[in-house]
Amino acid sequence: MRSRVAAAAGAALAVVVLLGACGKNTGQGNKVDNGRTPTGVIATDPKDSMGPAAPVPGAANGGTVTIIRQAKISHLDPQRVYSFAGLMTAPLYSRSLTTWRDDGKGHLTLVGDTAETPGKNVNNDCKTWEFKIKSGLKFEDGRAITSKEIAYGIARSFNPDLTSGPTYIQEWLADTPQYDTKWDFKANKTSLPPGLTTPDDKTLRFEFAKAHCDLPFAVSLPSTAPLPADKDTGVNLDLQPFSSGPYKITKNTVGVELVLERNTNWDPATDPVRHQYPDKFVWSFGADPEAGANRVISDSGADQTALAWNGIPSSLVSKVAGDQSLKGRTLLEPTPSANRLTINTQRVTDLTVRQALNYAIDRDGLIKSLGGETVASPLTTLMPPSTLGWKQFDAYPAGKSGDIEKAKSVLAGKTPELVLGVSDDKDGTEVGTQLKNNLEKAGFKITVKTIPADAKLDETKKKNNPWDLYADSWAADWPSGASILPPLFDGRAIKAEGNSDTSFLNNDSINAEFDRVLAMDPAAQATEWPKLDERIMKELAPAVPLYVDVAYYLHGSKLGGLYVGSIFGYPAFTNAFVKP
Amino acid sequence: MSLSPVDGVVLAELGAADSLVPVGAGDFVGRSPGQLAWARLRRDRTARVSGVALVVFFVVALAGPLIEKVYGVSPQAQFQDALDSFGMPLGYAGGVSGSHWFGLEPHIGRDIFIRMIYGMRTSLFIALAAAVITTVIGVVAGIVAGYLGGWVDTVITWVTDFALAMPFLITALAIVPTVTLRFYGPREAEPQSFRVIVLIVIFALFGWTGTARLVRGQVVSLREREFVEAARAAGVGLGHMLFRQLLPNVWAPILVAFSLAVPSYVTGEAALSFLGIGIIEPTPDFGAMIFRSIAYLQTDPAYVFFPGITIFALVLAFNLFGDALRDSLDPKSSR
Amino acid sequence: MARFLVRRVLSATLTLFAVSVLSFLMFFALPKDPVTGMCPKNCNAERLERVRQELGLRDPLVDQYVGYMRGIVAGRDLGSAQGGHCAAPCLGYSYVNSEPVTSTLSRVLPVTLSIVIPAAVLWLALGVGLGMISALRRGTAFDRLAIGFSLTGASLQLYFVGAVLLIVFVYNLKVVPVQHYTSMLENPAKWASGLVLAWVALAFLFSAIYARLSRAQMLETLSEDFIRTARAKGLAKSQVYGRHALRAAITPIVTIAGLDIGGALGGTVITETTFGIQGLGRTAVEAVRGGDLPTVMATVLISAAFIVVANIVVDVLYALIDPRVRLQ
Repeated sequence: MRSRVAAAAGAALAVVVLLGACGKNTGQGNKVDNGRTPTGVIATDPKDSMGPAAPVPGAANGGTVTIIRQAKISHLDPQRVYSFAGLMTAPLYSRSLTTWRDDGKGHLTLVGDTAETPGKNVNNDCKTWEFKIKSGLKFEDGRAITSKEIAYGIARSFNPDLTSGPTYIQEWLADTPQYDTKWDFKANKTSLPPGLTTPDDKTLRFEFAKAHCDLPFAVSLPSTAPLPADKDTGVNLDLQPFSSGPYKITKNTVGVELVLERNTNWDPATDPVRHQYPDKFVWSFGADPEAGANRVISDSGADQTALAWNGIPSSLVSKVAGDQSLKGRTLLEPTPSANRLTINTQRVTDLTVRQALNYAIDRDGLIKSLGGETVASPLTTLMPPSTLGWKQFDAYPAGKSGDIEKAKSVLAGKTPELVLGVSDDKDGTEVGTQLKNNLEKAGFKITVKTIPADAKLDETKKKNNPWDLYADSWAADWPSGASILPPLFDGRAIKAEGNSDTSFLNNDSINAEFDRVLAMDPAAQATEWPKLDERIMKELAPAVPLYVDVAYYLHGSKLGGLYVGSIFGYPAFTNAFVKP
Repeated sequence: MSLSPVDGVVLAELGAADSLVPVGAGDFVGRSPGQLAWARLRRDRTARVSGVALVVFFVVALAGPLIEKVYGVSPQAQFQDALDSFGMPLGYAGGVSGSHWFGLEPHIGRDIFIRMIYGMRTSLFIALAAAVITTVIGVVAGIVAGYLGGWVDTVITWVTDFALAMPFLITALAIVPTVTLRFYGPREAEPQSFRVIVLIVIFALFGWTGTARLVRGQVVSLREREFVEAARAAGVGLGHMLFRQLLPNVWAPILVAFSLAVPSYVTGEAALSFLGIGIIEPTPDFGAMIFRSIAYLQTDPAYVFFPGITIFALVLAFNLFGDALRDSLDPKSSR
Repeated sequence: MARFLVRRVLSATLTLFAVSVLSFLMFFALPKDPVTGMCPKNCNAERLERVRQELGLRDPLVDQYVGYMRGIVAGRDLGSAQGGHCAAPCLGYSYVNSEPVTSTLSRVLPVTLSIVIPAAVLWLALGVGLGMISALRRGTAFDRLAIGFSLTGASLQLYFVGAVLLIVFVYNLKVVPVQHYTSMLENPAKWASGLVLAWVALAFLFSAIYARLSRAQMLETLSEDFIRTARAKGLAKSQVYGRHALRAAITPIVTIAGLDIGGALGGTVITETTFGIQGLGRTAVEAVRGGDLPTVMATVLISAAFIVVANIVVDVLYALIDPRVRLQ
């Protein structure tokens, strides 16, 4: 009977051999270079908004680009698209009023997409905006795109059935967050929402009750995509959107596969940013992040032209970074997703406690526990470096690992008892462990309260949530402080649930400052937001800025033209091509 | 991924029901069936080896705090200075060194050895507690249903079928977050023991069906035996009848089922970790550890190896011991 | 036999009814609000509340339950937010997948069947085969190896075996393609190569119990009087083992196989996740996480139905295999 044990031991031995011997890790050569500061302009010359887009060096026509992702894209209907995967895919099959020309290195130009220019501020008060629509635009069935279809697209975003999409334009037109009661889409399908008019087929006009200087940015989201009324299938459009871009959806197996093929009615001469190099884009869903990355590393068959959308998981980073042969196939850029430790200022009312938290934070340790510098890059400002006009400052300089002594002296003997809410999944609980160990060194008493992962976001957004600290993340919809600081810290918008101002900061002087800056020209705003960022941090410390997510992607050896988009920090497909 | 971990093995016994009941036939030397089984077990080399291994596991788990004192590292201490900028342990084989015998966890940087010792405590406690509770529930339900018959039997059998039909993983996935939110105040940390109890309760809800079916089958076949009728004629109470007369005659298969249930709960607990509803940080736990480590198979094989080989050895030892126990309790299975 | 079947089917229906009620209640106790998931960045509480009413989530629970069950039998109108009329058997509309649940099920069921049925054939053949041969060659090297192999399988985790198989055969040796479901009708070769690792992993883990069991059963049966009689009568070895011994040993194997297969058909979550294949199990798990009630209900009911039916089939098979068993 000993033989049974022996057989089992033999099998165990086989496992050991299989795992392979491991060399010594000396930590040398594992350095990654992060950091870029963006510049942005709004193109006023219609020529900048005309196509065709400059050819991509080395690009060739043909082939199939595969994108491997764990979960399906939550929505495809342009009026409902708001997830990163959706926002990066939508440009392939839908065109918006404006769009960003992006070189992937932070040089941004806002250009007209279906519009000839990024809008005209008619009376220079940001209340009336006019867009001239380009000629030669066509839907996938060859019909011409006019201002009417664009207006219909905006009108249908008022439909309460079509949840999940951005709500800026609806709220601005209706001048209330309750826009769907102000104007009932289902009862008025043939008319347009208040303030939206189409004087002729080439003109689209927005008239707002209040100034909205950010409109040219806001209409770059896919929710301004055109749609003919007779193609509106309600919620079912989500499965089969009607294309106005260079590709159209030819097959959609929910949760398994999404196939986009060339749309022959798209005219490159009208398009300043998109190309049409590959024959097909195929989203392949199901593989977890490890599997996706492993497939692309092994680089065989169809995966030679594949991208692992979920990025390189922290468990595989050292393998990829240490392999010189993979160097040419990686993309590594910091993203605009800024993570902060939110301090609930309704509960933590003592400013010195909030400041001490800022001194005590060990960003280096936190980033290591998250997976190192290819996963996260330290941040000391509320706005991420990708914001136009951003300036580096540190209101509470404490070195990369925090200054425990300084924090202790600010606390002056106090030992505040704080409850840190974290999601109960692997990442959340590990961050909880890390922060607790870190902050308790400075004298805080931290209770880590786990919240079911699926409910954490809903719960922390409730005004009366019972926690003092929680990790939050914010990704702006356009790279302006206007889409970061006011949503996060304007306390006049606080309501019972669904708050973005999860610090529940409500400071009259700061609010007034928001109003002042928001009424300025977007270009002038860019220098004002960083000043306000610093002021909020120094005077109020409503959060501890932690890190920005770092995008670290790997693609197959025959895939070219990919870059990390500067707006959302995810891979962009407009220049993608298959190497011959 | 049998829903009721005991089911498979236990139901197998039904087929061999008669042979498993040591009714004392041929008991010439005057030794009880239990003594006979014990003698056979001691002669079996597999049983000895796996038995000793199990004793070692239990001693190590029980001595956890003592080992921590001698070893000098706490399961929560982080050693991030010994990690590179990617958060991977420096040095050989995942940071194995004199002060960290099995190396460090990547990223968070805790000592693997001491977390394994404590993890073993958690896992063994959950598995044993779940096995004891499911066995008790199963035995009581089975013996009552089998002896009383009639509508009692119908009801218990139906409840058994119902528990079997509820999909285990989906139900667990729904129950865990729900109870967690209901039981503790919003600002109270969920104590480490709470999740342990929740998992034991979940196993208890689903795991008893196998034993119940097994015991019921055995009791049905005993019901008409002379000794039962004799006891009935003597007018013994129901409790006496069930637990003094019937139970001693079915303990053998129950014991086997129990010994095979323990490892199935060890692996079952690891499966729950896979779904994100197992033991949560910072409690050290085998299932959570092995699940977390799998992703590092290529980048830090030592991290997978140490917990992996230990949980494998633990489960294997239980399985071998259970097998040997079955053989020793079954006089007919000659080898 | 007929009376037995009627009784079992009635009891099974009652079980499924109880399963449906319990899973319905369980879902409503979940902390996840199905509607906040639809909430964009700047979420408006009043608007969300209107969505909840539109979806019927504010109706009394009993009404919601009855509505759902009636939909299965007679179809129902779900309103424009849920794709309009839904014909019987209506399992509801999934606002997470933006499609009727029946579409989801008709897509994922063949996937799970394709994983489980060939895997079950493999693990039964492997397990019973190994067990039988071990029994006949008791004490030989083959016996020891076979038992060692099966015990190793039984002591490993599926996601561990799966990860190793993927790394070795797909990523490094590249002899097996990426695991992916293709319909058998479309391309049988792709179907098989796209699922083969899942079959192997399941078979490795599941065959252990069958090997041990069939070995023990076989050994026991071989020592029975009727086998000795058959041998004494001069029947050929192969006939004795094949016809008499195997038949007597197979009853408990059928019991376990029924339970295992029934359970596995209800979803092989871990297998599906490990190999990145979207089947019933994974769909169910994602539905619970996403607060997708109609999909949760449908997947739970289907899983339960598989188990209940498997139980009945086992009982009937018993009677067919073993003439001594009489159904009552």
